[in-house]
Amino acid sequence: MAVRSGVVAGFRWLMLRKALSRRKARAAVAIASIMVGAAVVSALAALYFDISIKMSQELRAYGANFFVGADPASPDRRFPAARYDAILAEIPADRLTGASPFLYGVVSLGIGNAVLAGVDFEGMRRIYPYWRVEGGWISVAFDDRNAMIGKQLAEKLELQLGATIEVYAPETGEKAELRIKGIIESGGPEDEQMFVSMDLARRLFAVPERIDLAMLSVVAEGDEAARLAETINSAHPEADAKPIRKISQSDGQILDKIEGFMALVAFVILVITTLCVNAIMSAIVVERTPEIGLQKALGADDREIMTQFLSETALICAIGLALGLALGFALAQVLGQTVFGAWVNLRPLVIPLTAFASLAAALIAAIIPIRSAVRIVPARVLKGE
Amino acid sequence: MFEAAETEPRPADPGPARDRAKSVIRTEGLSMIFGAVRALDRLDIDIAEGEFVSIMGPSGSGKTTLLNILSCLDTPSEGVYRLDGVDVSGMSEQQRAMIRREKIGLVFQQFHLIPYLTALENVMLAQHYHSVADAGEAREHLGNVGLADRADHLPSQLSGGEKQRVCIARALVNEPAIILADEPTGNLDEENEKVVVELLQRLHGEGRTIALVTHNPEMGALAGRTIYLRHGRLDRQVIR
Ligand SMILES: Nc1ncnc2c1ncn2[C@@H]1O[C@H](COP(=O)(O)OP(=O)(O)OP(=O)(O)O)[C@@H](O)[C@H]1O
Ligand SMILES: [Mg+2]
Repeated sequence: MAVRSGVVAGFRWLMLRKALSRRKARAAVAIASIMVGAAVVSALAALYFDISIKMSQELRAYGANFFVGADPASPDRRFPAARYDAILAEIPADRLTGASPFLYGVVSLGIGNAVLAGVDFEGMRRIYPYWRVEGGWISVAFDDRNAMIGKQLAEKLELQLGATIEVYAPETGEKAELRIKGIIESGGPEDEQMFVSMDLARRLFAVPERIDLAMLSVVAEGDEAARLAETINSAHPEADAKPIRKISQSDGQILDKIEGFMALVAFVILVITTLCVNAIMSAIVVERTPEIGLQKALGADDREIMTQFLSETALICAIGLALGLALGFALAQVLGQTVFGAWVNLRPLVIPLTAFASLAAALIAAIIPIRSAVRIVPARVLKGE
Repeated sequence: MFEAAETEPRPADPGPARDRAKSVIRTEGLSMIFGAVRALDRLDIDIAEGEFVSIMGPSGSGKTTLLNILSCLDTPSEGVYRLDGVDVSGMSEQQRAMIRREKIGLVFQQFHLIPYLTALENVMLAQHYHSVADAGEAREHLGNVGLADRADHLPSQLSGGEKQRVCIARALVNEPAIILADEPTGNLDEENEKVVVELLQRLHGEGRTIALVTHNPEMGALAGRTIYLRHGRLDRQVIR
């Protein structure tokens, strides 16, 4: 039995090969249609699964989404540092991505003044992992010899990495000599500021127990953020917590639109692929009508004819798919570079998804031609040469 | 179900006494209507097992139409066709395909070879639909029609006579009980015609049932009986 089915499959394969190689041009066009369809689908799927998902996840996780300021009624517009610790303690650890207190003051840098902020570098780094930092982040909380500086400020002062600068707080008369450990590029006001550890800022400004504000990055969905703000505010009247709109929300919406657009493009391309393959298969069936009539006359039943055309379709689809996946990967890189400025990794899910879409397109395309092949009446077509 | 009938021992020569033998092909009131044309008109035909019948008649008298129905390639508009006593007219396409591959060897008026398959592969195609393609057996049948050395040629590389012999080898490769041939020598010269005639006589000798359509009276006279058609009707019969 195994031998028999092997021989049957062998002869079918021989017929399939010869039938297709006789119609190389048509087969090539059909393969090309599937290839284009598979390429577009796989490229868009690769973009979606790699860049788009990664980006939206990052956008959702990145950036501060909570601002805690002082109650407007407070005399110095600051609030106790202990409050900050208490507020943090109320947020579940697995929800808190990062947090940093900020204490601001003005310092003189010799040729001009600048805003200097005392921060928690560890927390900052978690809130703003996407900041570009030349050099490195300060990693020790009590470091009082190093500073980070905004890129624009550094350019204004003509400061390089590793340079030393003297800061002087005019209000208190305190001084410090600091080495530039990192240059920050955030695209925001931070580019004009200087950052030091909280302890050093407290000494410089002589504000030991109070902070100006805090930034928090909390995983919160829907109105969770608003509810959390309410909870904090009622428990800590001296602080004023409010959820802030992350950059991610608007970016996320654009991303959603791009994703919808990609899905639409993929769908349209698949429809066009289906129409092309359908036209080619129909032409092949018309051309082969006498042949099909003969096969039926020799005893081929409908199932045999169907098997033959389905195998042909599957073979065309398989070749087109293989070429399309390769082309699609290249296309994904082009799109990834031009649209997102990033290389695209091929996620494993892309291949089965593309295979399924191409096969579905090819099979739908084959339905009508196969039906007309099955309906051929041998006596009607076996006339003349 | 059909193999059983095939393995029954056939009488070497049932002879002209056809009433004794069992009827293989029997039509009752068989009609085929193409629009305004009545290609076959209430035709009653009876062919016994092992009989060699020739069918003659002017062009357009319905010979090919009749053969198409007898070979289950087409269904009649009216009437009944019994093959081995079974009414075929009402069968599904699936069942008729099965009869074609199990029982009937067909030789067409035109050759109908698949152009991209070699002579051998064209013969193997019939085996493939019947059971399993077997190159050795197919080669043997090509040898029987004198084409052992042409097995690997494409139809375009063969002469008309050679093509027709490939068709005959293809019709015979599954050892069918019934052979239906539509002017198998129509396109052949005398020499090739003789080869085909000898083949048919040999098959008749082996006990196969043969229906042969021909325009050639000499060939027609080889059969034990000749049916003459005219306007789709049975005109007359000659029994030898
Ligand atoms: N598919 C068809 N549609 C319409 N008319 C047909 C069809 N097939 C056959 N006919 C007509 O039926 C009649 C019988 O045709 P058929 O082919 O059986 O003749 P024949 O006896 O085989 O002729 P010849 O000796 O020329 O081969 C002819 O008048 C023919 O025109
Ligand atoms: Mg004819």
